[in-house]
Amino acid sequence: MFRDHVKLAVKNLRHRMSRSLLTLLGIAIGIMAIISLLALGEGMQQAVTGELSSLSDVIIVSTGGGGFSSFGGGGSTGGYFTQRDIADVERVQGVREVSAQLSGVGLAEYNGKTTILSLTGMDVVVMKLQYASQTLDAGEFFNEGDQNKIMIGYSIAHDTFDADVSVGARIKINGEKFFVSGIFGKQGFGGVSSDSIVLMSSRDFQKLTGQSNISLIYLRVENVNDAESIATTVQDAINENHGKKDFATATTMTSILQTVQNIIGILQLVLVGIASIALVVASIGIMNTMLTSVMERTREIGIMKAIGATTRDIMSIFIIEGMLLSSLGGVIGIILGVFGSQALTLILRSFMSMGGGSFQLSPIITITSVVLAVAVSLIVGVLSSLYPAWKAARMSPIEAVRYE
Amino acid sequence: MSKDVIVTQNVSKTYGKPPLQVFALRETNLQIKQGDYIAIIGPSGSGKSTLMNLLGCLDKPTSGNIFIDGNDVSTLNENELARIRREKIGFIFQKYNLIPTLNALENVELSMGFAGVDSQVRTAKAKKLLEMVELSKRLTHKPSEMSGGEQQRVAIARALANSPSIILADEPTGNIDTKSGDNIMNILEEVNRKGETIIVVTHNMAIAQRANRVLRIQDGVVQEGHV
Repeated sequence: MFRDHVKLAVKNLRHRMSRSLLTLLGIAIGIMAIISLLALGEGMQQAVTGELSSLSDVIIVSTGGGGFSSFGGGGSTGGYFTQRDIADVERVQGVREVSAQLSGVGLAEYNGKTTILSLTGMDVVVMKLQYASQTLDAGEFFNEGDQNKIMIGYSIAHDTFDADVSVGARIKINGEKFFVSGIFGKQGFGGVSSDSIVLMSSRDFQKLTGQSNISLIYLRVENVNDAESIATTVQDAINENHGKKDFATATTMTSILQTVQNIIGILQLVLVGIASIALVVASIGIMNTMLTSVMERTREIGIMKAIGATTRDIMSIFIIEGMLLSSLGGVIGIILGVFGSQALTLILRSFMSMGGGSFQLSPIITITSVVLAVAVSLIVGVLSSLYPAWKAARMSPIEAVRYE
Repeated sequence: MSKDVIVTQNVSKTYGKPPLQVFALRETNLQIKQGDYIAIIGPSGSGKSTLMNLLGCLDKPTSGNIFIDGNDVSTLNENELARIRREKIGFIFQKYNLIPTLNALENVELSMGFAGVDSQVRTAKAKKLLEMVELSKRLTHKPSEMSGGEQQRVAIARALANSPSIILADEPTGNIDTKSGDNIMNILEEVNRKGETIIVVTHNMAIAQRANRVLRIQDGVVQEGHV
């Protein structure tokens, strides 16, 4: 019985080939949009996750309750951490490594021009980790044990002094000579802003300034799964030292990762929402085609009823027809979506390369999104053919047979 | 004594409400026996189609009862009526009314499909029926590729597919040339001789003359008559 209905539906679709194809195209475009946007979103998720998860055992403790905002900026306003804080953090169970980021200012002189710069001192290992994803315009990172070497940002190198600073150049800071080891590439928007940074080792920083203004504490944990609970413990311990409830904020990479993923998730949802509009339009298309078909086949429906088709037979024939249209459209849409997502990625890549970003985006089509697309197209098919099918089924056989 | 296949008791069909009520059929009492060959005649608008629709279970009477093979069909719902049409009645229409997208074989198989007959059994039976109407060479032809007479013969095969108790033919030769029409009637009579009940609605007197019994309708009233 069901096979007969399918056969009838297929014959009808074939009989009206061009109309069927056009209707099907509508669904295909809708599904294509959804598939390619989902693939793009998934690709973004993976790219960001890949980038950040290498740092997943890192916890960053900053001052102020406002949370962690500018990665490596060190521009905190709520005071500085103390050596006692560091000692306390080191004692927390599960902490593998602690290092502090020091910040202060110094008077720098190059090529006869003197200016005030903010200085950052940090452990060489931490520095390499933190700036790993950043491109270097020139030179390289200095190594553990190197003395009087600095890394500078793009605008320090090109915009701060009268002449450009190049690798190997000497800059006098507070009267002490420092050699430029590496220059960061231009950062522009987003990401870790390092355009106006001057980085040196913690030891050099303390020797130079005599200060140890700790603006950030980095720590790494033994086990990534403990990161959240250790973050809470650390935060509480430091807050107790300073007698303030919100002196410190400890942020795990996992939670940053989660925030970023949430944002991408929302973005994805909005994009798919927009793409769904195409699908709604397409389903109206199916309904329209099916209604026309019901009108044209009034006589045929009447004949089928006269020779014994039940209401259910007629409904089923028309619903199967709608489902065939939409699922075929869905499959074509998925295939088009594979190409569409590649094309979208190429366009996005060319945009991003203008910003100098280094991360690799490639579309990822998941089984879930394919299953989702098939399911959605089937549902669309059923829903949009329900009304035409019902209209066909309740047609009276006499009226239908008499219909000229 | 053969049994009654159709009995109508005080069957009326009206349209509209009083005082503008129109009687399409009035207080009709009929008994049609298994194996009868009946012609229903009357001018257009007399109620022929109404009677056809009622006997064919396409419509329900306003009042009265219709029994088909002992089942009171005036109380049945849509799906039960569909089952009666499928099992008890074979329709033949003036305009053949084949499904245009299906070929001859598929058209004959269709009503057996609705009846849930196994597809192999179905195909075998459809081939046999098409052979009987001498269309073995047209099995895969679509209606548009056949002549009127051929299409009507496919329609006869289709009407016989579920071995119904009654064949209802509405002007079966109305759209066909005389020679083919004669052929159609011969086939119907052949079927009748095998015990099938045939009811032909016509206003062609030559056709009506061939029947064993004639019912004449005038203004919704059915009377036994002769040509």
